[in-house]
Amino acid sequence: MSIMQYNGSAIIAMTGKDCVAIASDKRFGIQLQTVAMDFQKIFEIGPHLFIGLSGLATDVQTVAQRIQFRKNLYELRENRKVKPDTLMSMVSNLLYERRFGPYFVEPVIAGLNEKTGKPFIASADLIGCSVILEDFAVAGTCTEQMYGMCESLWVPDMSPDALFECISQALMNAVDRDCVSGWGGVVHVIEKDKVTTRHLKARMD
Amino acid sequence: MEAAFGTRNFSNLNSSDSAISHQRWSPYAFNGGTILAVAGEDFAVIAADTRLSEGFAIHTRDYPKTYQLTDKTVLACAGFHGDVLTMTKVMDWRLKMYEHDHHKKMSSSAIAAMLSTMLYYKRFFPYYVYNIIGGLDENGKGCVYSYDPVGSYEREVFRAAGSAGAILQPLLDNQIGFKNQTGVTHVPLSLNKALELVKDVFISAAERDIYTGDSLIINVVTKDGVKVDRFPLRRD
Amino acid sequence: MNYFQGNLNKADYHDFPQKTVSVNISAKNRTLYPTVTGTSVLGVKFDGGVIIGADNLGSYGSLARFRGCERVMKVNDTTILGASGDYADYQHLKGIIEQKVVTEECLDDGFNLTPKSLFSWLRMLMYSKRSNFDPLWNTTIIGGLENNEPFLGYVDKIGTAYESTAVGTGYGAYIALPLLREATDHKPPLTEQQALDLMEKCFRVLYYRDARSLNKYQVAIVTKDGCRILSDKRVNDDWSIAPMVRGYE
Repeated sequence: MSIMQYNGSAIIAMTGKDCVAIASDKRFGIQLQTVAMDFQKIFEIGPHLFIGLSGLATDVQTVAQRIQFRKNLYELRENRKVKPDTLMSMVSNLLYERRFGPYFVEPVIAGLNEKTGKPFIASADLIGCSVILEDFAVAGTCTEQMYGMCESLWVPDMSPDALFECISQALMNAVDRDCVSGWGGVVHVIEKDKVTTRHLKARMD
Repeated sequence: MEAAFGTRNFSNLNSSDSAISHQRWSPYAFNGGTILAVAGEDFAVIAADTRLSEGFAIHTRDYPKTYQLTDKTVLACAGFHGDVLTMTKVMDWRLKMYEHDHHKKMSSSAIAAMLSTMLYYKRFFPYYVYNIIGGLDENGKGCVYSYDPVGSYEREVFRAAGSAGAILQPLLDNQIGFKNQTGVTHVPLSLNKALELVKDVFISAAERDIYTGDSLIINVVTKDGVKVDRFPLRRD
Repeated sequence: MNYFQGNLNKADYHDFPQKTVSVNISAKNRTLYPTVTGTSVLGVKFDGGVIIGADNLGSYGSLARFRGCERVMKVNDTTILGASGDYADYQHLKGIIEQKVVTEECLDDGFNLTPKSLFSWLRMLMYSKRSNFDPLWNTTIIGGLENNEPFLGYVDKIGTAYESTAVGTGYGAYIALPLLREATDHKPPLTEQQALDLMEKCFRVLYYRDARSLNKYQVAIVTKDGCRILSDKRVNDDWSIAPMVRGYE
C-alpha cells in the first residue's frame, strides 16, 4: 500500500460567484483503523486564504507548520499579506526542495484575491507541480469518486449557499465510497466579507 | 483496477530466480470500459461505453460491451476483452442448452446465479471480467446483479463498474439512493430520470477517464423487450 | 558455468533496451519470448474489398536480420491474413491454416473457410494457447469478403479480438492507424486505388519513424474478383530534408 493511503484523507476546493469553498474530511486513521475523527487538514493562512493538505498525517502537520512559518517570514519581510497565487508558489517551492525525499502531501489552495476579490483555487502534487483551476480541485484517497461528483454537480457562478451544498454533497458522497476517509467533514465558504465554517454530520462507519 | 490481479504472477511459474527482468508475458490485458445498470419499478437500464483500448491505444471506437441474453436480461462486461469474448460464448452456449432442456428461457435470477458459478469455476485462473446483469425478474420488476471477477454477487438497485466505476458510483448513491440527502421524499425512479442520469454520469466519466468515451450504448429493458439507444461521448 | 565468484552477468550491469536475454529460456518456455519478429501490419476496408499490408523485415532484436520475410498470405479466394510478432510462430500458423484449407477443399461439401470463420477459429486458437501458457507470439489481421461484404478483424496473442474498418498492430497502431482512421472515419468508402496509395503513405511514415521497419513491403487485396498479393512494393522515401533537421546532433 502506498504511503499516501496510510492515513486516509479527502479534500475538495471549489469556485463560485465571488466566493470559494474548501472542504475536507476529519478522519485520522492508521490504515484501516480509525484513531481520531477531529483531525485538522485545512489551515487558515490569511483572512481569505486556506490550504488543505491531504496525504500522510505527520507530513500534513509538518508542512502546515512550515508553510505558516514561511508565510510569517514573508509578511515580516514584505510588510503585506500573502496573495493566493504567491502562496501557491511558496508551497510549490517548499515541496520541490524535497524533490528526492518528498513530503507525502498533496496540497489544495482556496482563496480570494485581497484586491480584486477574484476566486482562486489551485492544487499540486507531492513534489510541487502546481496547477491553477477554474472549477474545482480534489486531493486525497478518493479522487476518482470526488472527480465523479464534482464533474457532475459543479456549475459556474454558484451562490455561497449553492456552493456549500455542492461541495458538501461532493465530499460526503465521495468519502462514503472510500474506506479510509470520511468520519465527518468541515467546509469553509470564503466570501469577501466573511468566512463561514460549517461542520458536516456524516456517516461514521 | 488494473492491479486487481497484480499480485498473481503467472509468468513466474516455471522460471528459476534471476536478476534479469524480461518484458514479461502476461495472460491478461486490461481493455478498459465502463458499465452501469439501474433498476426501476418495471424497467431496467443497462449502459456501457463503446471504447475498446489497451494502454494508450484505442483498438476500436465501436465495441458495445452489453450483451442481450434474453428479451428480459442484458449482461454488461468490462475488463480483459479476450476473457469477455470467451465468457459470453460460454454463456450463450449454456443459455441455449437450458432452453433445449427445459423448453423455456432462463429467468434473470437464474442467469445471475449461473454467472456466479461460471466465474467461480475459474477461481484459480479467473476471467478478468467485471460483470453487471440488468433486467426484469420473475415478477416483472427491474433487477440488477453485480459481480466481482471470481463470482461473488448480490442483487442491487444500481451499480457501476469497470474503469470509471468509482467515478460513477457516488453520484448514483446520491441521486438514486438519496444518500446524504435529508428531508426528501423517496420517489420511485422514473425511466426518464434514469436515462438523463446515465447520460450525465457517462459524460462526466468520459471527461476524466481515458478508457471511457466514444459512444454510449443504453439498453432499456421493459415488458415489451429491449430497446437500444446510442449517445455520443467525447472521442479524445 | 560460473567462472567467477559472485554473479558476474553483464546484463546485470548494462541496461539493454528490450533485453530478452537468453537466460532461463528453455524449450518449455521459449514461446514466452519472441525471437525473429515482424513489425506492424496494417489493414483497411475499401469499397468492395479489403487490403492488408506488412513490410518484409524479420528483425532479430535490434538487428535487421532477414530482409525478405513475407508476412501476408492468401488463405483462399475470399480470405487474406497478415501477421506481426514472432516469425517462426507465423510460419507454424501458416502451415496449419494451409492444411485447414486443403482439408476443407477435400471435403468438397460446398463450404469453405470464410473470413469470419477463420477469425473465430484463430481467436479460439490464440485464447486456448494463452490459457495453457504456451502462446503464439503474433498479432494477426484477417481480411476478406463475407457475403460480398468487406470484413476486417484483429486477433492478438492473448485472445483479444475485434472487427474494425481500419486496424494496425505494433507501432502501426500509434503511427499509421490515425492516418487510416482519418481517411475512413465519417467519409465515403475508399476506392481500391486510394486504399493502395494510403498503404504506401502509411508504410512510408512507418519507415521514417519505426526503427524496426523496412522500405520494402507487400500487400494482399481481396475483391469480388478474388484475392492477390502484390510483392516487392517499395516506399517512396525522401530524405532530402533530413540534413536540414537541427537539434539532434
